[in-house]
Amino acid sequence: MGGRMHSHESGNAVAGPGVGPSKTSASSFEASQEGRNTIILKWNEFEFLMQYFDSDITRSSRRHFLASNAMGLGGVALAWLLKQDGALAETGPPELEPQVFDTLPKQPHHEPRAKAMISLWMQGGPSHHDMFDPKPLLKKYDGKPFPGEIKYDNAAQASSKVLASPWKFSPRGECGMELSELVPHLGEVADDITLIRSMHTGVNNHGQSIRALNTGRILAGRPTLGSWLVYGLGSETQSLPAYLALVDPGQLPVLGVENWSNGWLPAIFQGTVVRPKEPRILNLDAPAHLQGAPQKRALDLLRRINERHLDQRPGQLDLQARIASYELAARMQSAAKVALDISQESKAVHELYGINEPATRDFGTRCLIARRLVERGVRFVQVFTQNQFWDHHGAIISKLPSACKKVDKPSAALVKDLKSRGLLDSTIVHWGGEMGRLPVIQNDAGRAKVGRDHNTYGFSMWVAGGGFKRGCVHGATDEFGHHAAEGKVSHSDYHATVLHLFGIDHAELTYKRNTQELTLTDGQDCRVVTELLET
Amino acid sequence: MSDVKNCYGLPAQDGLIMPRATLLLLTLLLPASFVAAAEADAPLTFEKHIRPIFKEKCFHCHGEDEEIRGSLDLRLRRFLVQGGYSGAAIVPGNSQESYLLQRMRDGEMPPPEAGQPVPKEQLDLIARWIDAGAPTERPEPEKLAPGMLITEEDRNFWSFQPVRRPEVPVVKQQDLVENPVDAFILRKLEANGLSFSPPADRRTLIRRAYFDLVGLPPSPEDVERFEQDDSPEAWSQLIDRLLDSPRYGERWGQHWLDVAGYTDSEGVTNADTERKWAWKYRDYVIRSFNANKPFDQFVREQLAGDEMVQPPYKNLSPEDIEKLTATGFLRTAPDGTASKAVEAGVARNQVIGDTVEIVTSSLLGMTVKCAQCHEHRYDPIPQADYYRIRAIFEPALDWKKWRTPSQRLISLYTDADRQQAAALEQEAKEVLAERSKKQSEFIEKVFQEELAKVPETEREAAKNARETPAKKRTAEQKKLLRKYPSLNVSAGSLYLYDRKAADELKAMAEKAAEIRAKKPKEEFIRALTEVPGGIPETFLFDRGDFEQPKESVEPAGLTILEEVTGDAAIPKDNPDLPTTGRRLEYARYLTSGKHPLVARVFVNRVWMHHFGQGLVPTAGDFGRLGTPPTHPKLLDWLAAEFVRSGWDVKQLHRLLMKSATYQQALRTESAHQEIDPDNNLYGGARLKRLEAEVLRDAILAVSGKINDKPFGPPIPVMADRVGQWVIGIENLNAGRPGPVIPMHGKEFRRSIYVQVRRSRPLAVLDTFDRPKMEPNCEQRTSSTVATQSLMLMNGKFVLSQSLHMADRLVAEVGDDSAAQVRRAWNLVFSRKPTPSELEDAQAFLTAQTEDLKARAGKKDDPARQALASLCQVLFSSNEFLYVD
Repeated sequence: MGGRMHSHESGNAVAGPGVGPSKTSASSFEASQEGRNTIILKWNEFEFLMQYFDSDITRSSRRHFLASNAMGLGGVALAWLLKQDGALAETGPPELEPQVFDTLPKQPHHEPRAKAMISLWMQGGPSHHDMFDPKPLLKKYDGKPFPGEIKYDNAAQASSKVLASPWKFSPRGECGMELSELVPHLGEVADDITLIRSMHTGVNNHGQSIRALNTGRILAGRPTLGSWLVYGLGSETQSLPAYLALVDPGQLPVLGVENWSNGWLPAIFQGTVVRPKEPRILNLDAPAHLQGAPQKRALDLLRRINERHLDQRPGQLDLQARIASYELAARMQSAAKVALDISQESKAVHELYGINEPATRDFGTRCLIARRLVERGVRFVQVFTQNQFWDHHGAIISKLPSACKKVDKPSAALVKDLKSRGLLDSTIVHWGGEMGRLPVIQNDAGRAKVGRDHNTYGFSMWVAGGGFKRGCVHGATDEFGHHAAEGKVSHSDYHATVLHLFGIDHAELTYKRNTQELTLTDGQDCRVVTELLET
Repeated sequence: MSDVKNCYGLPAQDGLIMPRATLLLLTLLLPASFVAAAEADAPLTFEKHIRPIFKEKCFHCHGEDEEIRGSLDLRLRRFLVQGGYSGAAIVPGNSQESYLLQRMRDGEMPPPEAGQPVPKEQLDLIARWIDAGAPTERPEPEKLAPGMLITEEDRNFWSFQPVRRPEVPVVKQQDLVENPVDAFILRKLEANGLSFSPPADRRTLIRRAYFDLVGLPPSPEDVERFEQDDSPEAWSQLIDRLLDSPRYGERWGQHWLDVAGYTDSEGVTNADTERKWAWKYRDYVIRSFNANKPFDQFVREQLAGDEMVQPPYKNLSPEDIEKLTATGFLRTAPDGTASKAVEAGVARNQVIGDTVEIVTSSLLGMTVKCAQCHEHRYDPIPQADYYRIRAIFEPALDWKKWRTPSQRLISLYTDADRQQAAALEQEAKEVLAERSKKQSEFIEKVFQEELAKVPETEREAAKNARETPAKKRTAEQKKLLRKYPSLNVSAGSLYLYDRKAADELKAMAEKAAEIRAKKPKEEFIRALTEVPGGIPETFLFDRGDFEQPKESVEPAGLTILEEVTGDAAIPKDNPDLPTTGRRLEYARYLTSGKHPLVARVFVNRVWMHHFGQGLVPTAGDFGRLGTPPTHPKLLDWLAAEFVRSGWDVKQLHRLLMKSATYQQALRTESAHQEIDPDNNLYGGARLKRLEAEVLRDAILAVSGKINDKPFGPPIPVMADRVGQWVIGIENLNAGRPGPVIPMHGKEFRRSIYVQVRRSRPLAVLDTFDRPKMEPNCEQRTSSTVATQSLMLMNGKFVLSQSLHMADRLVAEVGDDSAAQVRRAWNLVFSRKPTPSELEDAQAFLTAQTEDLKARAGKKDDPARQALASLCQVLFSSNEFLYVD
């Protein structure tokens, strides 16, 4: 709730909440280039508005207009325009400055590797034993008692019997990454990804672990990673929301709308949901029956009514600005429409993502939309599987393969597609859920019914692009795959590393709320895991 | 604890309250007003032109702090000549030789890490002053106490002068003057060769009056009646009627809740805990405005209502309850002190700081909070003054003997209520005891029956096993009980054996619950009261850090005002009162009629809400960084008149609204726009966009769905399926929204009754600039952004209300499209459509219906959807969003 900049200095009064000026001279040149683009971008928007104004308006009225209307469009442009008018003092009084929040691009702390991120969120806990983390020892103990301590979540159905993976692992790619036959397509991009086999959050339920990985802490109410990124860096586009959540047509994931919450950050940093049905983006899209011609007709009538009204009130800049803002809104609306329209993609692309196959149609479509959004300057996209999709407490032997079938091909396609478009270098792809599973059987009620219980002490996820290593396996669990044993990566390590790739020092990206200076990693013991990064 | 590095002297807590518009005005206007000297030909003097620059940039290290850096004190001209360790700072008559100026020109002073360099124009000003021999306005004082020096210029500042009722000026066009307001306004217009715009038409006037006073549009019938009423009293009768409406308090209460920082949640923590009883203060404010409570009394109750009531606040009369509820004003600051997430000292002092900020910004219109860590940079407010004001509140907000929000609640239970509740509880307990006894008997009976079924050889052992506590049972015993599971009869499983017995027990439990339900409902007030048991001492905190207390200070008002108000000291303890009486005394001091700020600040706010801009455009800053009044004499005349009227708020509305100034049409003449582009001279009305709440309420009023039930607990806000904050009762399942719970029309209550939860800003209000309370808001902004347009084009609220309005039109005028359009125009714009508008709208309806028919599903009604589409266009139009 801080919301107000508190500085006596006027120099960066309009810099917004960004992560501030660059620290090294080498990158500060880059940054200032970036800054200039910002202004140009905003200037276009203003030009757009200004074309509606009489050319002979006085400076003073123009200032009045800017003062009363421009703030919502962002402080940078305002300051720039006022400077043009000579209205902004070189230095002024102390800045008793309310902080202006916007999604204009901000300078990172250091030169970034990544500009955008797509997170494929596998809610429920994909079984690392069966997909990513082969454990030959489990074969030896298959069906026998587990020779150690197990942290069970569901004691009622717990069994200490080891369950060896029924699926074959083999080395994939030139790097020889061992992956199971359940993810054949992932194998095709093994040389492009980093597989982390040593994830750890250490809290044994979905909600808490989702929060840890999404917001840094297990408690509700904090902003998500996407909100922090947009708060810190803004967005490269002002025609689309900066942070989008692509939800499954089935159910929302556990925790529902918390998954894209801005927490206590200002509401403009909340994730915007792309719905599976019309209107795809609430407020941005018209309801189905009004889309297209009917809405256009309504906007035309509105314009005529507004112009007649303005004719009787000449010189009222607020009214002109309001008329223009409808044009801007309509432009944003069509930009979103285009971004979501995959019919513009080639047949080959549709095939790559599996859009023509029933099993992969939905997830493939959403992965492709994610690429189209990032291509258009969106900062953060998260694609969600439906509620507890990977939560295989029972019948894992039949359910896991069908889950993999739904996401494997589209996920790999996303990596391939980004790579072929030259976007992978600057786009992080993340694939993972909030936990893995136990090496032992849950629900020991016959082969067809066995499952595995939760495990947040050691699990796998993969990342690619944006400066992550290619063809790399990082860390390891113990010989049974229960606990992360080598190169342990906590949720905070992961956050610090992602922010680092975006050019942000995790401890320096702060938000002031009452007396507190808050961060994503929240003072937890963590580090940038440099072993994951390309040099 | 304060982060001095970030703050550069200002308190590290939340930034200064300063609405956007204010700030912008500052940015725009300051360079000119701040260095007023630059443009004037009058000789430069230290006091008028040079000192303000040093005060802003240098005094912190060179004069006002304990340690004088480099032994150079810049507070007097003679100290400059005298110099410090590096010799003379200036050589009068020779700026080239003046070391101070060299250091400043080289960018060494102020040190870059301490602040922005002094701009070139100001350096040139200093040079010119030195070259002119460095004159002063008057002889400098012989002696200077350490710390802040309050100068003649400070004392002469306009807002610190006593309010003197000026003569009403005589103007050329005396016939245009309806009341004294007009004389002041016209005089300045005439001086600029201008006059009033023509009077507004009746239709414009009634809309303006409705939106201003009740925040709702007039009904077509109201408009028609007013247009046809030729009596000279029509306007004044309309104003009276609106002032008498219960809707008036809802509109003007919101203005006050803004400056009070009203919310329904504590903020600070992730959980953003709800303030379950805050609404009683909201209702108090609405009722006070409706009752036209004299403003001085209103202020006194809010600052010290508790000190007017005899502790221990039990068996309260309605009057007592009202006074205690009023102190909710001092309980609006964000409060995280119930949580362990923030360190206690930090959290508590933050609540105190925010409360002081709310009080001083709302009532004094000064940025007193800037003096929390150091002497105020611009206004003559020493740091000690800040802590003197804090001392007024410290007996109730004692950070060493803190009370969390729930500990501060006052129960409205009377002794009679308590007795009645205790008697009922006793009765319920008796029923439950009886039930418990019966239950044991039933279980024992069943057990004996089951035991009888066990073979006799094992019977005794089984009986022993069951009588042994579960944890102490041997393996043998456990085995035995597993063998005969039916022996495990318990309270939970009794029903499986003996349904009749279980039903009997259930009936008894229900009876007990019924008895408990008869207890009187316990309600609470969120109040501020003193913490008994000793009066805390207040210390000045070095750099605002509560861990670095310095000298102790005594309660008092602002020092700078003492010449006008008389002694500002507040007695530490009033022996005639059970409390210290500090807040009561301060409240009396503020409302004595002598205080130069309280009345000015309030009448300025009322003016601002009627005219779209304050006479002092920076309504929250009457200090040197604020914008001076455009009409200082009018401001004083209004303040004097307001106090003379007995602080009569409704009378003030009448005065302003009956002026010709208020009744003008919108400015359209180009002469006005050229000479006075910002309409600072009031030569015509100012266009005002509907505020967020007014927009929502107006749409509900026009659609016919508005529910005008007043008062009570807030209407809740929840996340919808995509996470937007909408009105609704939260119904989560594993964090996911479950089925929507019907609200039976509560969702259509006026916006002032919707929950203001800090972490859940209602989307439709947030988008239209409803302020965040950080900790309060003295002046709203009005933005024009595309997200607003998108919400009007596609937002669910507008879409659904458009359908409601379409249904209303059909219900009222039937299917005839011309009648529908006429009625719609009357409802939304308070006027008839022009023939071309009528034709245009009808053509729209036809075409839209055709188009929608082509895409209609089975359940759709294209004609209704087309009519709704028209209604939506009207809701989105400028004529609806703006008031002339």
